[in-house]
Amino acid sequence: MYDLAIIGGGPGGYVAGIRGAQNNLKVLLIEKDNVGGTCLNRGCIPTKSLIYDSRLFHSAKTSTILNGADSLAVDTSKLLERKRKVVKTLVGGLGAILKSNKIEVVQGKGSLQAPGKVSVEKADGSKADYEAKNVILANGSKPSVPPFIKVDGKFVQTTDEALDTQEVPENVIIIGGGVIGIEMATIYSNLGAQVTIVELLDDVLTTEDPDVRKTMRNMLKQRKVDVHLKAKAKEITVEKDEVKVVFEGADGKVQERMTQRVLVATGRAPVLDGVDAEKLGLAMEGPFVKVNGQLQTNLPGVFAIGDLVGGMMLAHKASAEAEIVVDCILGHKKSLKPELVPRCIWGLTEIGAVGLNEDEAKASGRKIKIGKFSYSSSGAAQAMGEVEGFAKVIGDAEIGEILGVHIMGAHATDLVSEAVTAMKMEGAVEDLYEAIKPHPTVSETLLEAALDWNKLAVHSPKKA
Amino acid sequence: MPEEVVIPNLGITVENGKIIEWSKNEGDTVEKGETLFVVEADKVTTEVESPASGVLARILVETDTEVPVFTVVALIAVDGEQIPDDYAPSKPPPAAKESAEPAEEKAAPEPEAKPAMAPGSQEVSEGLAVPAARKLANDHGLDLKTIAGTGPDGVIQLKDVQAALEAPAGAKASTLARRVAEKEGISLEGVEGTGVRGRIMRSDLKPTAQEAVSSGLDKVIPMDSMRKAIAKRMSDSAFTAPHIFFYSDILMDPLLSFRKGILPQFEETFGLRPSVNDFLIKAVALTILEHPIFNAVLNGDEIYIKPRVNVCLAVALPNGLIVPALDGTDRAGLVDIVEQRTDLVQRARDGKLTRDEMERGTFTVSSLAQFDITFFTSILNPPQSGILSVGKTRDELYLDDGEVKSRKTASFGLAVDHRVIDGAQAAAFLQSLKAKLENPNFTFLHL
Repeated sequence: MYDLAIIGGGPGGYVAGIRGAQNNLKVLLIEKDNVGGTCLNRGCIPTKSLIYDSRLFHSAKTSTILNGADSLAVDTSKLLERKRKVVKTLVGGLGAILKSNKIEVVQGKGSLQAPGKVSVEKADGSKADYEAKNVILANGSKPSVPPFIKVDGKFVQTTDEALDTQEVPENVIIIGGGVIGIEMATIYSNLGAQVTIVELLDDVLTTEDPDVRKTMRNMLKQRKVDVHLKAKAKEITVEKDEVKVVFEGADGKVQERMTQRVLVATGRAPVLDGVDAEKLGLAMEGPFVKVNGQLQTNLPGVFAIGDLVGGMMLAHKASAEAEIVVDCILGHKKSLKPELVPRCIWGLTEIGAVGLNEDEAKASGRKIKIGKFSYSSSGAAQAMGEVEGFAKVIGDAEIGEILGVHIMGAHATDLVSEAVTAMKMEGAVEDLYEAIKPHPTVSETLLEAALDWNKLAVHSPKKA
Repeated sequence: MPEEVVIPNLGITVENGKIIEWSKNEGDTVEKGETLFVVEADKVTTEVESPASGVLARILVETDTEVPVFTVVALIAVDGEQIPDDYAPSKPPPAAKESAEPAEEKAAPEPEAKPAMAPGSQEVSEGLAVPAARKLANDHGLDLKTIAGTGPDGVIQLKDVQAALEAPAGAKASTLARRVAEKEGISLEGVEGTGVRGRIMRSDLKPTAQEAVSSGLDKVIPMDSMRKAIAKRMSDSAFTAPHIFFYSDILMDPLLSFRKGILPQFEETFGLRPSVNDFLIKAVALTILEHPIFNAVLNGDEIYIKPRVNVCLAVALPNGLIVPALDGTDRAGLVDIVEQRTDLVQRARDGKLTRDEMERGTFTVSSLAQFDITFFTSILNPPQSGILSVGKTRDELYLDDGEVKSRKTASFGLAVDHRVIDGAQAAAFLQSLKAKLENPNFTFLHL
């Protein structure tokens, strides 16, 4: 009898396992593939490896100080090799950590038979049953593909295949202008492909702040990425060595494009293999498993976390939920505040955000003030040659509560951490600038944005 | 700069303090926190600690001298400094009221004398603090209002400021929790923090802020000095003086019609409008003249019948109760009583009563006549021996020669200290008062 059985070894499942083991729970972790989940194997980490490598290439290629930049070429086999090595290192490291915590990792497809009862179907076809006082469903997600699109893995891909494809197409059409679409567009664009984005909604990155979206649109335009908004993909067919994409533009006109590659980035859907909701009587909420604030499902002793329960489908959200579940099992009630879950996007420049965007803040009915500071006014950003971007602070005009922070530009994904900490500690906007920032760093942009919130920014012209 | 030692704030109503003993002599070495002198105010003695370590260089106010609170009474030389002979303290002692002269004649008042504050300091003067505490708070830009004083009656002492400086801002409560608490007027004291290491988070305020404050439930109210004084005096009185109570219904028609009758002319002549209470105060004073034991205070084994009849009137304030005394109500005419009463009630509400006005009373009248209260009892206002409780004037039906008629009556309650006054005396007093109020034409014949 285990104290805790976890189905899925991604950033939700493995964190729950480690945290449980640290608290002397006897833990069983079931993973059908490699531990680390989508994040480590097919998501966050591989894309970042490719983002940084492709960025290096693009920077070099467009450098004004390197001689022979024009003749530079990227060895995509080495690009992939490095990515695989990174993944291997991290997966191996994680395995060692799990082992050191005496977590029993079982390879195979886990399924929930009943509350407290899980079974594992191993690769060799054998089956094993386990009993556990608590079960966490951390099955994760997979790319969600509209029914009319057939993914062949070669011409029509999802990120699962794209991140492992050595050949860089000359042109690619990305269906979807969300986070995945933008990050993949960045990689392709950095590597020299002509990118077209077909997005159904009226903007890219629709969850982000209007200023972030606008800046991103401009950057895509500068990169000559062909962005079609309010555009509906209607037909995708492979014709010989090319793909025909038919979509209806915002103007209602139907366009037909031929492309070497199509990437389907239309979001992700929860994986429910091994979780027969109907049979179990597991309550669902749309495609997701229904949970309460402590991630408890309607079944006793059964929790669900991560992409399985919806919300922001981010690794760190799953990890945070994992901790809440273990706390709950240990008898401490905690809950996750969605407004304190940071978002990070590695597009043509980085985006780090937390809390409400400007539209949401206004819609909340609170009296707000906004502070903003441009990267172009930052000494560090100028010295780095990365002048695109800004830091933006949205705060309650009365008590100074930090409602949202949006940073776009170099190191933005790192910078936002400071805001998350301040918000978690219930700091006010003033707290963001009352701490001294090292100079010259782009961290000063957040300081200046917070100062600007009180019309006190130092390195920008006085506002009327 | 020498460290200035002041008479601390000794209570909300206390204006002056009398040094009854210097624990140190000039030239003695003193340690910070050591008792320097004993001050008496409001019959309470308080030991005052030295705000600094050094040498007690100069005593400016001798014993048995009454001076206003916050007067600089001594100078402490720190680090062996020499204090110039012409050193002028920031708040010099005024000319002594009683015996000894201040030791330092040169400490003459300067018209421009300012409180001990660093230049450029602003709002730090709100909290009542000893100079050393004030200076330290000033140096660190700390708002004294945010510091809870542990000195007598909440005076902020040096150690309080030091403690406040040691605890970095926000260590105990998050910025937002503090701001929300400030905005909603919630005390952070006693709030249990659920944040990291017990930090008070905004959600910790919620039960108080959002649910309880609206209903007034489930919150902790720190007692202010007035509340503390009321609590102490009332429990002293209730648990020391054996109270006995007497009630009598008094016919109010005669007084009401008497007042109505004289009101127009009174107003025209004196520009004043006497209230029912004014007549009541006078009637009580006259009754006391007939029953002098009601002007008594218990003084050890002696009953001291005070020389003047100073009737007090209880005045309700938003945060408490204050009982100023009119002066010489036995001799005062109605005009004088109206004037005194109007002035005292106003100043009571403004918090501007003098200590004498608070202490000179010999008998108290407490009226709840404006409420629908038929009768009630009061706790004696120590060291007085009697207190009169006045209920509302109500309509009452009675039979007059077989005919049902209506008249106005009010129930009067009298509480007396049985150590001093016995039942028959109390009954006689109440009978006498009743007779006076029911026959106002004769009672107020001389006015």
